[in-house]
Amino acid sequence: MSVDIEEIIREAPSGLAIRKERDDGTVHMTVDTEGFADLVAYLHARGGRLVSLHAADRRAADGAFTMHALIDLGVIVEVECAVRPDRASFHSLAPRVNAANWYEREVQDMFGLVPDGHPDPRPLVLYDDWPEGIYPLRKDFDPSVPVPRVPREYRFRRVEGEGVHEIPVGPVHAGVIEPGHFRFSAAGEPIIALEVRLGYVHRGVEKLSESIPYRKGVFLAERISGDASAAHSTAYCQAVERLCGAEVPERAEYIRTVVLEMERLYNHIGDIAGIALDTAFAVPAADGLALKERVLELNERLTGSRLLRSVNDIGGVTMDVSREEAMKVISRLVGLRQQFEKLAATMFSSTSMLDRVEGTGRLDREKARPLGCVGPVARASGIDMDARRDHPYAAYRNLSFRVPVRDGGDVDARTRVRVDEVRESFAIIEQALDGMPGGPLAAEVKEVPAGRTAFSLVEAPRGEVMHWIISGDGTPFRHKIRDPSFCNWLGMEFAVRGNIVPDFPLINKSFGLSYAGNDL
Amino acid sequence: MIVELLQTLLLLSLAPMVTGAIRSLKARMQGRKGPSVLQPYRDMAKLFHKSSVVSKDSSWVSTVAPYACVAAVVIAAFLLPVVYVGTFGLLGDLLLLIYLLAVVRFFTALAALDAGSTFGGMGSSREMFISSIVEPTMLLSIFAMALVTGTTALGGIALQVASTGLEKVEPSLLLAAAAFFIATIAENARVPVDNPSTHLELTMVHEAMLLEYSGKGLALMEYASMAKLMVFLTLMANIFFPWGIATSADPIALAAGLMAYLLKIFALALAIAVIESSMAKMRLFRLPNLFAVAFTLSLLAVVAFYILGVA
Repeated sequence: MSVDIEEIIREAPSGLAIRKERDDGTVHMTVDTEGFADLVAYLHARGGRLVSLHAADRRAADGAFTMHALIDLGVIVEVECAVRPDRASFHSLAPRVNAANWYEREVQDMFGLVPDGHPDPRPLVLYDDWPEGIYPLRKDFDPSVPVPRVPREYRFRRVEGEGVHEIPVGPVHAGVIEPGHFRFSAAGEPIIALEVRLGYVHRGVEKLSESIPYRKGVFLAERISGDASAAHSTAYCQAVERLCGAEVPERAEYIRTVVLEMERLYNHIGDIAGIALDTAFAVPAADGLALKERVLELNERLTGSRLLRSVNDIGGVTMDVSREEAMKVISRLVGLRQQFEKLAATMFSSTSMLDRVEGTGRLDREKARPLGCVGPVARASGIDMDARRDHPYAAYRNLSFRVPVRDGGDVDARTRVRVDEVRESFAIIEQALDGMPGGPLAAEVKEVPAGRTAFSLVEAPRGEVMHWIISGDGTPFRHKIRDPSFCNWLGMEFAVRGNIVPDFPLINKSFGLSYAGNDL
Repeated sequence: MIVELLQTLLLLSLAPMVTGAIRSLKARMQGRKGPSVLQPYRDMAKLFHKSSVVSKDSSWVSTVAPYACVAAVVIAAFLLPVVYVGTFGLLGDLLLLIYLLAVVRFFTALAALDAGSTFGGMGSSREMFISSIVEPTMLLSIFAMALVTGTTALGGIALQVASTGLEKVEPSLLLAAAAFFIATIAENARVPVDNPSTHLELTMVHEAMLLEYSGKGLALMEYASMAKLMVFLTLMANIFFPWGIATSADPIALAAGLMAYLLKIFALALAIAVIESSMAKMRLFRLPNLFAVAFTLSLLAVVAFYILGVA
């Protein structure tokens, strides 16, 4: 892979790029503002995947904002450029790299840096009544001062034509679910277009993190998206560990792996049950939810927390798994696995169920790739990617597992990918518990030096989580969090087209996205 | 006359319990305990004590609809033989019954449109789409029974079939019964046509039409649909399979009739619960296929009568 990288970088258009290797194996390139979009678009065209695109306010130190693009070419390449505050704009990537669309709108909202030539420069993250000219992630924004509210209206995309009507749904929904607004343009029942409007649970997590000491930041990370506590806290801890050069003991890495896979288990089983429930197939839905509850109980028994919280700490983990406990868990898992196989068999042998899921909400590879979709959604659309295998962390490099990929791109494929992943997770947990090495649970953590940059990728149940940190004095100077949902929401806008309105909840369920993780 | 009155009251008062029984049976099939079969009564009592929130954009239609729906269902219930089949010709026949049920649908759909909310509009559009395909099936399957017995009076049909015994188990009867059962599922918003227990507004048919209602209005609307289900189940039990119904008003016959009726209703509730537990809801645009099957069955019932019956 590294040979490819050399060649790709040599042929890159920007001769001005300054390049350096980091010790974690990533490549770092600095270009001027003009060359930034060209270089990123070039790397993307050479098969790179946009992992994240974000900014930082370094006006105090360097007199400029910086833009950062992370591209996955097998090796992660980080491209950086400075944006002068008096110009406060950069060339938009979105026309060439569709995946950059939401990132650039986010940067525009949070930093006031304007993406020049962006096809859709409306606000994305901030509330509708947020005043113009106030940018929360700039360093001169004081979060303790209340922001005035100004009446503003968000303009939805309009589809016009005979018989086309709009269906507004949300942001408050029936049932205990997160808030999000869906605006359908439909002609009768078939959906012509969908616009997803999020941001209702924007809590300012990234800003908050800049004021929280690293150790406490673990608790914040666990609360970014409640059902991905382990994934987010692992990603955060790993990034901080890289900043301070802490070597996590092997035993801790194995425990992290077990916890991460337990998280995948309960999430996927819950999602599979939810898909059955949304087709009104009540019996497997009830069985699935009961099974999820048993996994949650096992979580509590193993870690003291149903949602696997307070396990991770910077430098390692806070809890141990004894040999006897490990054996007990393994034997419990055997029973759960049998129940799960029964559930999967019931679901996929029902013609009425299959009729609902097959061909519904299709997202093909040609759309999923440019949109930068990740996780089970991408894998169900034929994209073979998984951070556990491609950028191994924790104990994954020592364990054997398969990455299930399917081509259907429909609800059926997304369900089956999850079913296969649950099977793999059972196997991974058994391997990790069985082969757990001895040793300490946590490394000694030195003080985090200021001014360093590090990131970490973790495969959460919904897909790849990224935490990217520039260190400051005792707290992160800038903490960028990229939840997998942020990459997949646009995928859903495309997947629902041509489907009928009553199939939307099922498609939405099969994407299984987090609102809180997206909104931050 | 007293018996007729009492049996209709029985039907009307049992209606919430039957809905409760279906829910309870479904819960058991899902491995849950589920609420008691009396829960629908408690829900209604609770709703009657709550105040109603009415959209400021709604008109008198929203106010009148719950009463109109309940009134129409109650009158429909008076047309039915329940435990005892007596002199029914006076009140009206099956044509009146079918149009009383259409009144319920009409007012429900109208009320759903009245407040101008998105989901109400979607619900009534779907309801009308479904019922426009199902209504002919319903008519035709009961007409097949009218043809077999030579009368359109519901009591007359029940009496004839019940008194002739098993001789009347003709292909017509079974075909018509199958068609009517599918119509029952469709008209009462059960799986696989609709999902009565979903919270997903976008997939709803019947429930979407009730979303604007609260308090007393909601209680009445819910009661109307529970009573409507009971009317359909009673039709199923007493028009297609009336055996066991009391043909004279003496206490022993009435007791036997009551037992037979309760058994038949329970069997039908069980059948609905089993269907709801064993399959997923169908795609909206797949429904015409199911209804086409039902319509064909009812058509065959009529054709079978002419081919087999007249000879």
